Amino acid sequence: MKRLVSMTVNGEEIELAIPPYRTLLDVLRNEGRLTGTKKGCDVGDCGACTVIMDGSPVNSCLVLGIEAEGATIETIEGQHAGPDLPHLIQEKFMDHGGAQCGFCTPGIIMMTKALLKENPNPTESEVRFAIAGNICRCTGYAKIVDAVLAAAEDLRKGRTL
Amino acid sequence: MTIHQKPHTQDNLEDGKRQFSVVGKSVRRTDTFEKVTGLGKYSGDIELPGLLYGKMKRSDIAHALIKNIDVSKALALKGVKAVLTHRDVPRILHYGSPHPRSASCTRDQYILDDRVRYWGEGVAAVAAESEEIAEEALRLIHVEYEPLPAVFTVADALKPEAPLIHDNGLDKNNVMPPVVIRRGDVEKGFAEADLILENEYVLGRPVPGYMEPNVCACQWDGNGKLTIWSSTQTAFMVRGILAEVLGVPYNKVRVIVDHMGGGFGAKQDLFQHEFLCALLARQTGRPVRMEFTRKETFLGGRTRHSGKIRLKQGFKADGTITARHARIVLDGGAYGSHSPGVTTVGTSALTSLYRCENVDLEGRAIYTNTPIAGAFRGYGVVQTYFALDLQMDEAAERLGIDPAELRLRNAVRTGDLAPSDHPVVGHGLEACIRRGLDEVDWKAARAATAAQPGGVKRRGWGIGCEMHGSSAYPGIKEQGNAIVKMNEDGTVTLLTGTAGLGTGAHTALSQIVAEEIGIPFSAVQVVTGDTDIVPWDIGAFASHTTYMGGRAAQIAAAEVRRQVLEQAAPLLEAAPEKLAIREGIIHVEGANRSISLKEVVSPKRGMPAAQIVGVGTYSPTKSYSFAAHFAEVEVDTETGEVAVLQVVPVHDLGKVIHPIAAAGQIEGGIQQGIGHTLSEDYVIDLTNGRSLNPSFVDYKMPLSMDMPPIRTIILEAAPDPGGPFGAKGVGEDPIIAIGPAITNAIYDAIGIRFRHYPITPEQVLNALRAKQKEAA
Repeated sequence: MKRLVSMTVNGEEIELAIPPYRTLLDVLRNEGRLTGTKKGCDVGDCGACTVIMDGSPVNSCLVLGIEAEGATIETIEGQHAGPDLPHLIQEKFMDHGGAQCGFCTPGIIMMTKALLKENPNPTESEVRFAIAGNICRCTGYAKIVDAVLAAAEDLRKGRTL
Repeated sequence: MTIHQKPHTQDNLEDGKRQFSVVGKSVRRTDTFEKVTGLGKYSGDIELPGLLYGKMKRSDIAHALIKNIDVSKALALKGVKAVLTHRDVPRILHYGSPHPRSASCTRDQYILDDRVRYWGEGVAAVAAESEEIAEEALRLIHVEYEPLPAVFTVADALKPEAPLIHDNGLDKNNVMPPVVIRRGDVEKGFAEADLILENEYVLGRPVPGYMEPNVCACQWDGNGKLTIWSSTQTAFMVRGILAEVLGVPYNKVRVIVDHMGGGFGAKQDLFQHEFLCALLARQTGRPVRMEFTRKETFLGGRTRHSGKIRLKQGFKADGTITARHARIVLDGGAYGSHSPGVTTVGTSALTSLYRCENVDLEGRAIYTNTPIAGAFRGYGVVQTYFALDLQMDEAAERLGIDPAELRLRNAVRTGDLAPSDHPVVGHGLEACIRRGLDEVDWKAARAATAAQPGGVKRRGWGIGCEMHGSSAYPGIKEQGNAIVKMNEDGTVTLLTGTAGLGTGAHTALSQIVAEEIGIPFSAVQVVTGDTDIVPWDIGAFASHTTYMGGRAAQIAAAEVRRQVLEQAAPLLEAAPEKLAIREGIIHVEGANRSISLKEVVSPKRGMPAAQIVGVGTYSPTKSYSFAAHFAEVEVDTETGEVAVLQVVPVHDLGKVIHPIAAAGQIEGGIQQGIGHTLSEDYVIDLTNGRSLNPSFVDYKMPLSMDMPPIRTIILEAAPDPGGPFGAKGVGEDPIIAIGPAITNAIYDAIGIRFRHYPITPEQVLNALRAKQKEAA
């Protein structure tokens, strides 16, 4: 039995017919055809599936699709303004080498956005704490932290999220 | 990050005055916009109409014969489209890793066998309308096993009564004949020694932990051609082995790898699901996707080889090493995979790094009923240099020589015979050690740790060194190929078969092409990852992509430049050798005449453009990169916890193509190395072979808060004539030196020598207590 669920994803209201047991992650990837959100573990250990739900970062593998009824969801696909027009955080990840294989990147960028919304002036340890639930196996985190701090610096110079 | 450049001196490395316009700059990577926006398509993201979902039933016993498999209930479940067992698939013995007929890997696997040899081996596969139905179907498959005696350690596998896991004609459970290397006269060497050290080193079982679980999707077209999207490092190898096992010609298998979420060596292997996915798709006539769960990446993935190394060395009072004797025994797991290659590379590495004329080395890999050990970054050298560099530290102390000084005295130098039997090029190791000593002010740092007052938290500094070859030569004679096409608007298309694991290699190759032709980086587009389109490549491994694939691209680009200049010469009324291309403009050297490249290659009125294509083929021998790592640790003597406070890695890469990408490799390698040294160990229940920690919660990798500051220093001290502009590999190097650096730093902090990894807080605490007792 499928159920109809409506939610706002990246500013667009959508209605999807989904099985009630399906996670938000699988719903976004399958029914929502938004495959930018990644499945690294499916049990909440790795953070690759991080999206922003009603303003808060969540592991979308730990939320059922039907729980997102009426919710506002932001995913990685909704961040850039167009071809060659990256979001501020995306731009910094590109310039600082924050993405290697790129599989953890969407989740970390969404987590970064949630962090910077709450705290536009984080210290390095606050950045490390914020992404502690996001596993990256390629970078050693150094360039990710650089990218987040650089984005924060630009925010202070007047750029917006 | 610091880059120290010095002019090249060798003829084939260009002249020392060359100014680089693209190489050596951290241009924006070609793959990065798609990655940060989520637009990039990984193999699991491909949308295929009518897709079925495949799942694998895995054994819950480590060693058994399959007496019967009842799939009737699974087949009866609504939505299930096919079930395959060993009775339904071709029974063809194949190589575990798809380097066909290579000496580096074994040929000991079937797609599905009537016998399982480790806990978690695939025994059946299902295709269904949804993932959930496929999972339900797995539960409905009933397998009847006849248990066989099983062995979970090398020691047990070597006992006379141990079961034979593979009947390969060798002594009890040996994966391959022992690797034996003898040079000089070790007996004489030991007789001349003033100090002899002999220790045993015990190695844990880390896993690569790539973020993208193994995944593939398969689709057959009406003409019987298979397209497979797979997360693999070796697309052409996958094509070859799939074609052979499935009985179709190579031109009816197309392997596509666009973006890939890491591999670290392990995704060189061909896994059961890749065959099964193709077979399920053929049987159902629909596309099928099979994706590992995270747990399956542990069960059915590949680990680093655990094992033991007994190392004995003789030293003269001045630090000269007079003899080296080593016995290396690695646990290969249930199938051979890369065991022969790992054992050979790891064993032969002990002929070098620190000079020694008299060596007697023997390496073996043994089958056990545990998960398969395969290729993983560092490929045997992580293990043997851990032993070697720990013993160097111990020898330094016993001889009263500073540990860094002892390494300098013995460091491999230009002209020495490398593990691959080639002469080493340059004094890269010495340069790395010296630069690091300056950077950390070694003498002062060590004096400070020696002078620290007794307290709960104690600090220490340690050093670790390594050298690692770019390319798998001589185990495999490799080849890289590239095609560079000039388009009629002056832009260039590079076709390369190299795989993009996430290292930035395709960007580096594009930079090399732009530099070689003399055009801006933005004028190069790179086409990758489709075996129907790009030229053959052996795959991304052995730290060779930039070195080998880059050199092939450079050769192809040089040919394009030659043809362009040939076209331009009559227009500029100058001989081609008098012309140079800079930023897309062709200049007559010494004269004030120029023409844009675009003008030369664009079609003229009523005339087609010239067809300008360069093909580059490169079969390298080998070059060696070097590194010295310096680490500071703090040991909490009340909890046993070891915190790495800072790492200063100094790497010689010959010539750095993309500094940020190279530094990213180094920093990521250090992360994985800190992991296997302090916390990562994939644990097997020694009573039944079951995996005890197959998840990211129970398998502890260093995360953002565990990672120390890293001050990466890249040297261009020893450019290699075999690489593009002198460039050498970097992928594997950083994971090798960090373990010894940390372990030696722990000794500096608390005076306890650990001779194993991982070194867990519990072990540190126990050792501290034992030491206290001893002192009392």
